[in-house]
Order: sequence, then structure tokens, then C-alpha cells
Amino acid sequence: MFRVILYTQWKWTRLALLPGVIIAFSLPVLSVQRAGELGYAAWVLQSVGGWAVWFPALAAALGLLMAVTAWREDHRGGHVYALSLPIERWRYALFRFAAGAVLLAAPIVALWVGSLVATAAAPIPPTLRAYPNTLALRFGLAALVAYGVFFAISAGSARTAAFVLGGVAALIAFDVLLQAAGAELSVSREVWAWLTRTPGPMTVFTGRWMLIDV
Amino acid sequence: MFEHLDPRSPIPLYDQIATRIRSAVAAAELAPGDVLPSVRQLAKRLRVNPATVVQAYRELEREGFVEMRQGAGTFVREVGGARRKQARSEQAKRLVRALLKEAARVGLDGDEIAGALQRELGGTA
Amino acid sequence: MTYAIETRGVCRRLGKRFEIRDLNLGIPGGSIYGFLGPNGAGKTTTIRLILAQLRAQEGEITVLGESIPASIHRVLLRVGFVPERPHLYPGLTVDETLDYHSAFYPTWDGGRAENLVRGFGLDRSLRVARLSKGETGQLMVVLALAQTPELLVLDEATEGLDPVVRREILEALVDYVSQQDATVFISSHLVHELERVCDWIGFMDDGLMVADMPIKDFKEGIKRLRVVGAPATLEDPPFVLLSREAGDGVTEAELWVVRGWEAPMKSYVEGVGATLREVIDLDLEEGFVELLRTARAPKQ
Repeated sequence: MFRVILYTQWKWTRLALLPGVIIAFSLPVLSVQRAGELGYAAWVLQSVGGWAVWFPALAAALGLLMAVTAWREDHRGGHVYALSLPIERWRYALFRFAAGAVLLAAPIVALWVGSLVATAAAPIPPTLRAYPNTLALRFGLAALVAYGVFFAISAGSARTAAFVLGGVAALIAFDVLLQAAGAELSVSREVWAWLTRTPGPMTVFTGRWMLIDV
Repeated sequence: MFEHLDPRSPIPLYDQIATRIRSAVAAAELAPGDVLPSVRQLAKRLRVNPATVVQAYRELEREGFVEMRQGAGTFVREVGGARRKQARSEQAKRLVRALLKEAARVGLDGDEIAGALQRELGGTA
Repeated sequence: MTYAIETRGVCRRLGKRFEIRDLNLGIPGGSIYGFLGPNGAGKTTTIRLILAQLRAQEGEITVLGESIPASIHRVLLRVGFVPERPHLYPGLTVDETLDYHSAFYPTWDGGRAENLVRGFGLDRSLRVARLSKGETGQLMVVLALAQTPELLVLDEATEGLDPVVRREILEALVDYVSQQDATVFISSHLVHELERVCDWIGFMDDGLMVADMPIKDFKEGIKRLRVVGAPATLEDPPFVLLSREAGDGVTEAELWVVRGWEAPMKSYVEGVGATLREVIDLDLEEGFVELLRTARAPKQ
């Protein structure tokens, strides 16, 4: 059963997954590309740090992609097919989730291989160290957390998804109003800070996304 | 043989099927020992409920027209001259009844029909 | 009698205007049950309740001896379902769809699937999205039959298909039923299509069951009578008078539609001083129309 569920998800995502894998491989390579020319440790750190934002962004994008494609076809058919199959709802959802997670391994591995390649090729200033395994691990965790969150949202009806997105939009709108009124407080920043406060799962998105670091 | 099956007719489908086979036996279109189509084949061809075909075959078996042999199929039995004649006269009776019913619908009485029948028979003879 | 599907006192409201009220269904095991009714009568809602795709707000549902929705996953192993609208994944090919579907059923009969696909002339490499309406219907029937189900539930499975495809699908169904001892529950608003194959029928209108009986009882008992000279009111007639109208305007005869008619009842008609001119047989569709007219007529 899992085999065929995995196959359908592979078929639905493979066109989008391929560029994802290529970007995941290239990102660490690109991030240290100029390390050799710059020489000074501080400049290297600044250059590598400039790329840092793209790692969590890619993790979130891949998580979103896998989550949306896991449910899109069933949503389209009003879930009539899935509900007519002799399988419990929770088991079906688990298989769909697991299939997406398995496919997500491809870009995670690509990023890890890319990191190892970049580490081997880039001249690293003596005061700095490379962290290919840590970066790949962090990326993998971030992608899985994003996938889990988006999967849970998209598993529900369109109404649930609209409710969640509407809540986020309302929060931002509220912030804009607060700012216009000259207030110091930003509610969305507070919420984000609360979400990412250790030991929450969102912590994985914060921190230093750098292949070369002190 | 079953081209004129009419699901809208008030005559039940099993009866229509049985009548067709009875007529075919009476007219010697089907000879003793001939195999009738299997229930599955006939049901599929006519797109009728298999139970309907079974019912028709049972009816024919009860009347002695066919014999259902387990696993082998349904076979036409030797039907005596008298029996065959009876089947033919049954068939004629059915046709006349249908005719009379139709005649009543348009308001023709028995004499008028009998007259017309006489003339038609005379004309073709 | 054992029932393949049984509902007792099932209610379900859908929106403000529509509801299924006090639904009591009994689908005899081994029957081919025609579930008839106009579009919007509640046939699809009933089927969704039976298959636990909707929850009943009241009442009990039993399918193949198991309680719904508690045991639905065990029951679905034994049920072949062809829904009203195509539900398959459009991105998969015919072959991939067969592969996907078969993985869920231990009773999958690959040989039967193969024969049906060949019989229908389906192109195995074509994506479902590229199939015509008829081919999609055929594929859904292949999937349902290859499961070797004990119960087939078909919701308007042949609606909007051309006559050749409709015929092929009905042939495949009949062929399956004559091999396997299965129950078929088939809904349609095309009455004449089911007249051949069904041995039991149920009529639904506006969320209510209007009639439910063996097809032969229905066809035998429902007649149109041409009557002359009948009194304005009838003292408890032995039949059910469904409707009574002035006739065609050319002759003075009245037209009655009755249910439960038997030939000896002629003497009752003559007993009230009327003349029975004619007893006309109604086919399923006409009987259906008369039933609906009386069911919809305002109660006095």
C-alpha cells in the first residue's frame, strides 16, 4: 500500500522536486564561492552570512511543496476516492505524510552532498571551520518541520487553510495599524519570537545557517 | 432468436424468454440434444438479470422442453408430436389474444375481427 | 431475508432545503436493486451515507452485516463503488491506476481486470485525464469488478454515456453477477435502462422513499383503467386509486391509475355502476411518473 502511495506522490512532485534538488545542491557551493578570493575571515563570514537566509527559505518552500502536493489530488476529487478505499483515515494520512517525508530526503541529501563538495573545494581561512553535517542536519529538520506544519494545514478542508492564512493576514494587518498609530509593539514579531523560543520546534529556523563559521 | 425481447411489456421477461425457446422447439428450429446458451452467456447477451434466465430455464424444464444437467449445460429434450402441437396452439392462442386486446382498444368487436381474419386468410390462400 | 444493505430511521439534513427523513431501506442479498428517482431526489446522499462518506444524524445503517460507520474499513474491502462523478487521479495512466487500486484489495483479480480492459479496448498507457467520459466510466467499472466485491454500489454509473458504452457496462455487470453471487445497488434516473436487469426497485423523491418492492409486483399491480359512468366518490375500493382524471377530452371515459390491481376487481367497478372499458399496462417509467405525481400531490 505504501509503495503505491509513494509512487503517486513521486509522480505528482517529480517535476518540482528536480529543481529543488539542484538548488539544494548548489546553495552551499554558491555560499562559499567567493571565500577564496576574500581571504580575510571577517569578509568570508560576511559573504557566507549573506546567503544564510536562503537555506531556511528553501526548507520552507520544499516543505510547502510536498505538503500541498500530498493532498491536492484528493482535495480536487472531494476525497471521494480516498474515502472509498478500505483504509482507515489516520493510516491513509500517515502513509501520505511518510511518502512526502521520504521524497523530501532527496533535496536534503543533495544539500549535504553539496556541502561536502563545497567544503572540500573552498579554501577555508585558518581561524574558521566548515560545518557540512550540521548545516545539512539543520536543513533537514527545518524542511521536515515546515512540511509537518503545512501538511497539517493542507490536510484539513480549504476552510481550515483559509482560516489559518486569514489569521496570519489579520495579525500582519493589525501590526500595520499599530505601526501607523506609532506604537512600538509588533504583535507578529512577538508571536514569532514565542514560536521560536527554545525549546519549540520552530527554533530550527533561527540560528546561523552558515557552512563556514567560527 | 431473442431479438424481440421487450422489457416494457407486462409479460415478465422470463416468460418472454421461455416463450421464444418453446416456439423454437415447436418449430423444430431447435432439435433434441441441442445445447442452449449458458445462463451467463444469455444474461450477458440480453443484459438481463441472470436470475431471469434461470427462471426461464426452470420453467422450460418443468414443462419438459429442456433438461438442465449439472455442470454440462441445458439441453433440448425430445418433444413428442402431441406436445409440440400443443405448444404451437398455445402460441397461436397468445397471438390471437394480443390481437383481440388491441382490437378492444380501438373499439372493434369479435365479429369484425373474425371477418377480417377470414378475408385475410382467404386472400392469401 | 438477509439484507446486503439495511437502514433504519436514517436522517440527514443537508443545507436548509434538503433532508433525508426516516429512511428505511432493505436491499435483499443477491438482488439487483434499482434505486430510482429524479435528479436531486437524494440518491447520491443516500449512497454517501451507506458508504460512510457522510454521517447520519439519526438512525442505523448495516452493510454486509456490519455496522456503519464503525466497521466501514472492513466493509469497504468487500464493496465495489462507482461514484456519480469520476474520482480517479487524473495524472495517473490506466496502468498506474490499476496498480494503485489493486494494492488496497487482497481479493483483486488481475485476470478479470485484464479481460475487462481488453474487452473495453482501453489504452493502458493513456493518462486518466485524457480518457473520454465513456472510457473513464469503463475504467471505474473495471476497478470495481476486479476487486471481486460482494456488493456493487453504482451511482448513476452510466449517466451521460453513449448507448454503446452503456450497453458494454451493463453487459460487464451482468456477466460478473452471473459468475459471482453479488448484490448490486444501482442508482439511476433513467428508468427504462434498469427495467431489464433489476429484480427489485426502490423509488426516492425529495428525500423520501416512495415505493420499494420486487419489480414484478410493481409491474403487475399498477394499471391505467378507462372507466365510464363512475360515481364521484368511491366507497373503499379494493385497490389504491392513485389518480383520476377526465381523460382525453374526446371520449367520455375517465382515466384512473390504480395500484394493487387484480383481474377480479372488475366486479367492484361494475358494482358501483361503472363500465370498465380497458385495463392498460403501465411500464416502469409510466408507473414511476404516476407514483411521483401522487407522492407530490398536496394531501387533503
